[in-house]
Amino acid sequence: MTDNIAFKDVKGLKELISSGEITPAELVDVFAERIDRYNGISKAFITPTPEDAKKQAADLSRDDLSASPFAGIPYASKDLFDVKGVLTSAGSKVFHDRVASSDAFAISKLRNAHAISLGKTNLHEFAYGATGENEVYGTCVNAYDTTRLAGGSSSGSAAAVAFGLVPAALGTDTGGSVRAPAALNGLVGLKPTIGRVPTTGVVPYCWTLDHVGLMTRTIEDCADLLGIVAGYDSSDSASVNRPVEDYTSALGQDIAGLRVGIPRNFYYDRADDEILAELERVKEFLASAGAVLVPVTFPDMEHSRTVSLTVQMPEALSAHSAYVQERGELYGTDFRAGLALGQCILAEHYVKAKRFVEVYRQETNKLFDEVDVILTPATPEIAQKLGTVKVTRNGVSEAIGNAITRYTTFFNMTGHPALTMPCGMHSEGLPIGLQLVGRYFDERTILQTAYAIERSGRFSIPLPRLAV
Amino acid sequence: MQKLQKETLTGICTQMASHTWSDAEINELVDPQLGIITGFQDLLNELEQLRKIDLGTTPPAMGVQGESK
Repeated sequence: MTDNIAFKDVKGLKELISSGEITPAELVDVFAERIDRYNGISKAFITPTPEDAKKQAADLSRDDLSASPFAGIPYASKDLFDVKGVLTSAGSKVFHDRVASSDAFAISKLRNAHAISLGKTNLHEFAYGATGENEVYGTCVNAYDTTRLAGGSSSGSAAAVAFGLVPAALGTDTGGSVRAPAALNGLVGLKPTIGRVPTTGVVPYCWTLDHVGLMTRTIEDCADLLGIVAGYDSSDSASVNRPVEDYTSALGQDIAGLRVGIPRNFYYDRADDEILAELERVKEFLASAGAVLVPVTFPDMEHSRTVSLTVQMPEALSAHSAYVQERGELYGTDFRAGLALGQCILAEHYVKAKRFVEVYRQETNKLFDEVDVILTPATPEIAQKLGTVKVTRNGVSEAIGNAITRYTTFFNMTGHPALTMPCGMHSEGLPIGLQLVGRYFDERTILQTAYAIERSGRFSIPLPRLAV
Repeated sequence: MQKLQKETLTGICTQMASHTWSDAEINELVDPQLGIITGFQDLLNELEQLRKIDLGTTPPAMGVQGESK
């Protein structure tokens, strides 16, 4: 019974609440029991907060429950989001005593929507890394194969949803840290347009590339969640003051005539053959539904990772300056090495990198003169074994973190909205994902396209068969 | 551009305003073992290529306020 409930989407859970089959407090109990059962292996949560959640659930009135699609629904947030009265560890010993005095913007919006925070999830320390490996809180595993990585840096958020410990979670995405782990775990992951969801109250990693991201089981849940957490906050300099759209109204609209960009370069090179084969199936479906496939050429991607790293590390060092000074010995070895690198990058390098970002933005914008969305694989590889350091494909060896985020990083620099979703299963039993990218603030069109793919039923994947 | 020497980074970090980095951390930049980040020498080589690309009057990227695409 509880397992059936645990893998329902938010919409399904709301129906159970509305029909009186379950109360929000009982729902919290279901998920809290599963966290007890699965957190040992999944390492998804750093700080579960079932007691707070039960109290919040018990206090909900009938009116509260009709306040939003997430009212009465438990969710989790990456442990970079401040939740008032709860530790924000950032997955690091450095923040072992940092209890939040107020809610992050997105958490506040969810609280007002009467969603129920069930705890804080694990991550790569301070979001620095795409594998989710964490020396302090353990490494999250993949629900489809517990000998493999969940991926990161929002590893705990992905594992929490994939293991059926919550139906939705918040993460952050600086180079793919929501989209990649979502794809590796068979979930929907959305990085909205930069500035669409304020990062206020989220521990920064790299101010100009950080995005709040969403993880859900379905596209409809994703659209509902975006409608709740999107908004404007004048205290976030990247936040954009424009109305929040009705994202769900785009779902179910015909995609006939939609122009879908298919990159000629970079995105279909050097990837697992089975991933490329699944993308071919998606293209065939889109064409059969009346969409027009349009070849597009991205700007030269040769230096894009260097550009991203050159922006990231000085910003990360600056963000951590005070803590490095006061608590430097508490950082993990790999993050300190990254911060040291940030120390040695010249100002001219940083500015040049930022100018390249502007070029990337302008050239990507031009592509959207020709197309409405762009389709790419989410990742070039499926989830890799725990402890993997490098991945070799077509004779090219690449650090696993770079491989996992190779197709996602670019859109953190340009700031365009991008969504990943499952589109098939690999013969090794792991999910395969696709990525849809849209114009600035046009999350509606990527959600519309994603919904059409999901609703076709041709790309459904099985739930994980948990062995524990 | 000459190959990066550990002494150069040590000099930068001791003679210019900088956080304190251990010998091991400086070594990691010159001779990376962790495999998490690109070695600093590789990064410098790539940055030198970028430096030579003329971007004309393109300014650094700012926010996307007002963008419609």
